Amino acid sequence: MENKAMKLILSGAPHFVTGNDIQKTMGMVIIALLPALAGGVYYFGPRALLVTAVSVVSAVAAEFLFRTALRRETHITDLSAVITGMLLALILPVSSPLWMAAVGSAFAIVVAKELFGGLGGNFANPALVGRAILVMSWPAFMTRWSPSLHAAAVDATTTATPLGILKLGGALTDVMKSVGVSEKSALYLQMFLGNRSGCIGETSGLLLLLGAAFLVVTRIIDLRTPVAMVATTFAASWLFGQDPVFSVLAGGILLGAFFMATDYVTTPVTPAGKWAFGIGAGFITVLIRQLGNFPEGVTYGILLMNVVVPYLDKIIPHKFGFVKPRKVNA
Amino acid sequence: MSLKTFRGGIHPSEHKEPTRDLPIEYVPAPTSVVIHLTQAIGAQNQPLVKVGDRVLKGQKIGDVQACPAAAVHASITGIVKKIEPAPQSNLKDGMAVFIEADGTDETAYMPPLDAFVCSREEAIARLRDAGVVGMGGASFPTDVKLAPPADKPVDTIIANGAECEPYLTIDYRTMIESPADVVEGLAIAAHIVGATRAVVAIESNKADALPVIEQQFAGHNHGIPMEAVLVATKYPEGGEKMLIKAVTGREVPSHGLPADIGVIVQNVGTLKAIKEAFADGKPLIERGFTVSGGACTTPKNLYAPIGTLIADLIPNVIQISDDLRKVMFGGPMMGVAVPSLQIPVAKGTSGIVFFTAAESRQYQERQCIRCGRCADACPARLLPMLLNAALLSDDLNRADAIGLVDCFECGACSYVCPARIPLTQQFKLGKDLLRNQRAKEARHGK
Repeated sequence: MENKAMKLILSGAPHFVTGNDIQKTMGMVIIALLPALAGGVYYFGPRALLVTAVSVVSAVAAEFLFRTALRRETHITDLSAVITGMLLALILPVSSPLWMAAVGSAFAIVVAKELFGGLGGNFANPALVGRAILVMSWPAFMTRWSPSLHAAAVDATTTATPLGILKLGGALTDVMKSVGVSEKSALYLQMFLGNRSGCIGETSGLLLLLGAAFLVVTRIIDLRTPVAMVATTFAASWLFGQDPVFSVLAGGILLGAFFMATDYVTTPVTPAGKWAFGIGAGFITVLIRQLGNFPEGVTYGILLMNVVVPYLDKIIPHKFGFVKPRKVNA
Repeated sequence: MSLKTFRGGIHPSEHKEPTRDLPIEYVPAPTSVVIHLTQAIGAQNQPLVKVGDRVLKGQKIGDVQACPAAAVHASITGIVKKIEPAPQSNLKDGMAVFIEADGTDETAYMPPLDAFVCSREEAIARLRDAGVVGMGGASFPTDVKLAPPADKPVDTIIANGAECEPYLTIDYRTMIESPADVVEGLAIAAHIVGATRAVVAIESNKADALPVIEQQFAGHNHGIPMEAVLVATKYPEGGEKMLIKAVTGREVPSHGLPADIGVIVQNVGTLKAIKEAFADGKPLIERGFTVSGGACTTPKNLYAPIGTLIADLIPNVIQISDDLRKVMFGGPMMGVAVPSLQIPVAKGTSGIVFFTAAESRQYQERQCIRCGRCADACPARLLPMLLNAALLSDDLNRADAIGLVDCFECGACSYVCPARIPLTQQFKLGKDLLRNQRAKEARHGK
C-alpha cells in the first residue's frame, strides 16, 4: 500500500466542483444571442450574418494575436471573445463596411478588454466601447440605416430609425408611416416583432426576450438589472411626455438591458448595486434621448454606469446572522 | 409543500447510492491501534498510561484538567507499545498512544448511570469522562455544549440527521439501524439542557428514516415533546447554523453561538454515543463511518475502534483500486486530503473517501468574471467574489467588513466557481491573516 500512498494528491477542500465552467457559461450566452441574430438576417438580409462573422473572427483573432504577442496564455476557447464579436455586430447597422466591423471588434478586444488584463479585468463592456469608438470615428457609416426587408410600404434604400425620426422633430405618426402602419397598436406589434430599421440585432423584442428567457431559466443572468433598466426607461420616458411602450421597444433598450447590463464583469455583483445600475442606465439613456444630440443613448447609459460599478459594489447586503449595531446613547 | 431550508446552498451530486442500503459492518478488532491523546477542540490531554502498561478496552488513557477538553480511552485491550507523535487526519502530527492487542476482550467500562435520576452535574461529568465529542466532524466536547451559560436558556434541541456531505451515509444508517439509541440520546441531551422541544431533522433524500425514528418516540422520549421533520436536500443543510434556520427560523447571530438563540444541535451519531455513555457506561471508543469514492471498490459503512489505521483495513475489510490519487477524511466538500494511509480513525471521522485520478482532477484557475454564483451559493450570505478581491489587494479591513470571519468554510463558493478560484482556501488563509493582524493591533493598544 505504501507505494500507492506516496503519490497521493494533497489539496484544500472542497474536493468537488460543478461541471459548469466559464466556457459553458459563455456558450449559453451565445445560444441566447442566436434568435436575435436570426432576426437580423430575416429583417436585413444575409449581409447581417456576414457582418457578424467578420466581427466575431476579428474579435477572436485580436485576442489570440494580442495574447500571443505578449507571450501570455491564450484563452480564446473560453468563448468570451466570440460574445464580444457577436454583440458588437448586433449593434451595428447592416450596411456597415466589413472592415469597420473588424476594426471595431479588434479595438473592443484589445483596448477595452486585454489592456485591462483580459476577461475579468475590464471595467467597461468591450462591445459598447467598440461601438462608441465607431460612432465617433465613422459617424456617417454608423447612421446609415437600411429599412427592414419586410416593411410594408417602403421602397427606399436608406431610412431613419424610429428614434431618429423623433429626434429630427417627427411625431409618432411619422414613425407609423415609416413602418407602414396606421394604428398605434400595429406599430407596437411591428416593433416588438422587429420589423423596423435599426441595428442588426436590436430590433426584435420578441427574439431578444426569447434568448433572455433562456438565460434566466438556466440561471445565467439575474433579472434585477434588466428589469430596473426597462422599468426606468418606461417611467422616465413617460415623465418626459413620450410614449413609454414605444420608448422601450425602440432603440437598443432590450438588447442592452438583457445582454449588456447583465455582463458579469462590468456590472455590480450586489443585489442593491444591480438595481441601482439598471435604474441609472435607464435614466441616462432617456436623458440622452431627450436632451442630447444622439437619438439613442443606451451605449452611453451603460458605459457611464460601468464606470461607477466599484461604488455600487459597496452596497453590501446583510449577511447571515446580521445584528443591528446597537445605538450608543451619548 | 416546499421543505424547510435556508437561503443559498448548492446541489452537488450525492453519490450516496453505493453505500446507503448497506448495513453497518462491524470490523473485527485490529491487532493494534494508534490513539491520539487529543481528539477534540480544546486543551491538550496528558497521557495517563506509560509504555509497557496493560490497558483495558474503555480505560481512560488521556485527560487534562481544563475546559474545553475531552478524555480519550483505549479502544482495544492490550499493551502500550509506545507513546510518540504520529500523523493524524488534521495533517498535524499529534502525540499518540500505540496499543498492541493481547487477544483478550476484557473491558473497563463505567457503571451505567440514569441520566433522568442523577444530578445535572453528574450527567455533565459522565459525558466528560466518556470523552463524548461532536461526531459530525467538528469534535467539540459534548459536555461543554450541553452546559451553556445560565443566562442562555436552551428551549430546543435538534438532532442533526441532515448528512448533506456527498458520499457519506453513516448518519442515515445509524438512524435506520439504531433509531432507539438516537431517540434515547436525544431525550438525555434534552433533559440535561432543559429543552422543552426536541426535533430530529432529516434531509428529504433520507425520508424513509423519518417514520423509523418517529416510531421510537413513544418508548424513549421520557416525556419530552419530540418531532421529526424533513428539511430540503441541499448542501450545507447539515451546517449547524443552516439547520437551526431551517428548523426554527432563527438565525444564530454573527459571532454568536446557537445557545445565544436557545438552540443546541447534536449529530445523530453523537446522540447514540451519549446514550451508550449512560446506559452502558461505554466511553466513545468506537464509531461508524462510511468508506466510499471511485477508488474504493468495496464501498461500505463500517464500525471500528477509534485508532484503527486505514492501512490496516486494506485489503481484508476494504479494497482500493490502483489508480487511487486522493484520500479524504470526511466528505469531499469539507474533508481533509491526507498524505498517507497510516492515519487512524478518530472521534471526528465520519467518512473516508478514496478518489481516482479522474476524480482528483486539478483545474486551472482563471480570473474572477464576477458572475456572482458564489454569492448565490454562500449560506452565510457573504459576497465571496468581493471578499476574494479584498484579500488579493491585502485589504483585510474591507474583507472583515464584508464578513470574512462569518465564513465557515463549507466550500459552496469554490464548488460553483466557473473560474475555478479556490475561494474557500483563500478565506481560510484570510481568516488566519485577519486574526494575526487583530492580535497585533491589540498588542499595540490600537
